[in-house]
Amino acid sequence: MNANETLLIPSRVRGWSMGLANMLAKENTAWWRTRRWWLVCLVTLVLLNGNIWLNARGDIRIERNGVVFLEMAAMVVSIVAISLGQDAILGERHSGTAAWVLSKPLRRPAFILAKLGAHALGLLATGIVLPGAVAYYQLAAYGWRDLSPAGFAGALGLAYLNVLFYLTLAVMLATLVNGRGPVLGITLLVLMSGMMQFLLRPILNHAPWLTKVMPWMLVTGIDSKPSLGASLAVGDPLLTVAPIIATVLWCVLFTGVAMWRMRREEF
Amino acid sequence: MNASICPVIETRGLSKSYRGVQALKALDLQVQPHSICGFLGPNGAGKTTAIKLLLGLAQPTGGGGRVFGKDIVKENDEIRRRVGYLAQDPRFYDYMTARETLRFVARFFYAGPRAAIEQRIAETLELVGLADKADRPIKGFSGGERQRLGIAQAQVNYPDLLILDEPAASLDPIGRRDVLEVLCRLRKHATVFYSTHILDDVQRVSDTVVILNKGQLVAQGPIEELMARGQAAAFTLTVKGDSAPVEARLRSQPWVTGIEVMSKNGRVSWQIRVSDPDLAEVELVPLVLAGGGVTVCEFERNHQNLEDVFLSIVQGDKP
Repeated sequence: MNANETLLIPSRVRGWSMGLANMLAKENTAWWRTRRWWLVCLVTLVLLNGNIWLNARGDIRIERNGVVFLEMAAMVVSIVAISLGQDAILGERHSGTAAWVLSKPLRRPAFILAKLGAHALGLLATGIVLPGAVAYYQLAAYGWRDLSPAGFAGALGLAYLNVLFYLTLAVMLATLVNGRGPVLGITLLVLMSGMMQFLLRPILNHAPWLTKVMPWMLVTGIDSKPSLGASLAVGDPLLTVAPIIATVLWCVLFTGVAMWRMRREEF
Repeated sequence: MNASICPVIETRGLSKSYRGVQALKALDLQVQPHSICGFLGPNGAGKTTAIKLLLGLAQPTGGGGRVFGKDIVKENDEIRRRVGYLAQDPRFYDYMTARETLRFVARFFYAGPRAAIEQRIAETLELVGLADKADRPIKGFSGGERQRLGIAQAQVNYPDLLILDEPAASLDPIGRRDVLEVLCRLRKHATVFYSTHILDDVQRVSDTVVILNKGQLVAQGPIEELMARGQAAAFTLTVKGDSAPVEARLRSQPWVTGIEVMSKNGRVSWQIRVSDPDLAEVELVPLVLAGGGVTVCEFERNHQNLEDVFLSIVQGDKP
C-alpha cells in the first residue's frame, strides 16, 4: 500500500444503514443531474398547470378548477411514481447493477430506502411543490381570492401522500415479482379504481369500508362526498382522518415488505 | 491453527440448488493468503454460483463457508468490506463517468478525506489505462473499456481479497496482458481468486488451481502439483533405422503400457506410455540402442500443459 492508504478514513457505518448515505447521494444525483427532473417538471407543468389555464378559459367555477388540479396531480404524479418506482428495482435487477452495488458494503434495506428517499424527494419537488406553487398563483390570479395557503398546502400534502402510496406499492411489488407487467397492472388498477367511479362503484357496493382504508378519498370525491384534499383547500372540516392514517400505515407496510423481500433476494 | 496460514477462503460442503437442480455440490475449498487462485470449469460448472455464495449474493442450500474467518451468511457485511468483486458481465450506471463510478464505489469504503479519495481514484484509473477516458460517460465505452473499469472498481479499495469472474473475457491480447500484470502486482497485498476460461493465463500467473465440473470439485492444488500429476508418464522417442526389433523389445517391457507409432521421412516416432516414468527415463534410450541398427534422433519426456490436464479432468479421465 502507498502513503495514501494511511490517509484514507474507512467508513465506520454498520448495521441497517451501511452504505445508505452513499446510495442516497447516488440516487439524488440520478434525479438532479440527468434529464429526469426537467422531464417530470415539464409533464406536470404542461398537464396540471396547463389544465388550470384551459379551465379558466371555460365556465368552470374557480374552486372546482382547484379541485380538478388536485385530482389530476394525484393521478399524473402517481403514474410517474409508479413508473419510476418499478424501474428503480426491476431495472436494476434486470440490468445487473443491483447485484453489483450489493456486492459492496451496502445493506439491502439501505438500497430500498435510498431508492424510496430519492424518488420521494424528487417527486415532492417536481410533481407537487413546483406545480402546486404555480397552481396557487394561477388560482389566486383567476379569482380564488380567499384561497388559504395553509389549506392549499394541506391539500397538496394529501396529494403527495397519495403519490407515496403508489410509489411504495410499486417498489414493494417490484421486489416480489420479476416482470413489469404485473407491477404496472396491479398499481394502475388500484389507482384507476379510485379515480374512476364506474370502476369503484361495484367494489364499494360490496365493501364500503374500503373508502376508509384506501387512499382514494384523499383527493377524489366519492358519492357526492368531497375529497379530504378539497375540504382542506376550501377550508371545510375533514369528514374523516381514517384514510390519512391508513395510507401512512400502508406506506410503512409496503416499505417494510420491500425491505424484507430484498433481504431474501438472490442474484 | 496459526493465523498466518489460516485460509482466506474456506468452504465445507457448500451447496446450492435452484428448483431441484444442484448447481453446486458440497464444495470443499481452500484458498491461501496472498495466492493467485485460478477457478476453472466448463460453462455451467458452478463457478459463478460459488462466487455469489461467497459474496452473499445468493444463499447456500447446504454446507457453509468462511472468508477471512467470517461466516459467509451471518457476517457477510464484514466480508464485503474487504473484498473487491468483478462480475462476469460487469454493469454500471451508464450516465456516470468512469471517475464518478469509482468515486461512488470508493465512498462505500471510505469516509474521506475527499482529496485522498480523489488521489486513489486517479491512481486506479491510471493503473487500468483509463485516465484519458475518466470523464467520459460509460455509455460510450467499449466492452474492453468496461472490463478495465470493472477491474478498477474491484480494487479501488485495495481489497484483501479480489474475486474476479472472467476478468479477461472481453479484452484484447494487450488488455489481457495488462490484467495479468495487475494481478501479479496485487499478489503482494491481496489474495486473488478468479474464474476464467483462458487456461494459458492461469498457467502463467496462478499459484493454485481449483477445477469444478458439473457443480463438483474435481481438482484443487498448487499448479505445479497438478501439472506434475498431469504429466501422464509418456515419452517421445524418434529413431532412424530398423525400428521393428526395437519396438518389439520396448513392448516386452513390463513398465511400458502402450506405444503409438508414426512414420515420416524415414524416421519412426513413438509415443511411449509408461507406468514408471523415473525408470523409463533411465532405461529407454539404452534399451533402444542395445541391439544396434538404429540411431536416436529425439528423446523427451512429454510435458502436458494445463489445457491437457483440464480436459483430461473434466472429461472424466483423471491423470
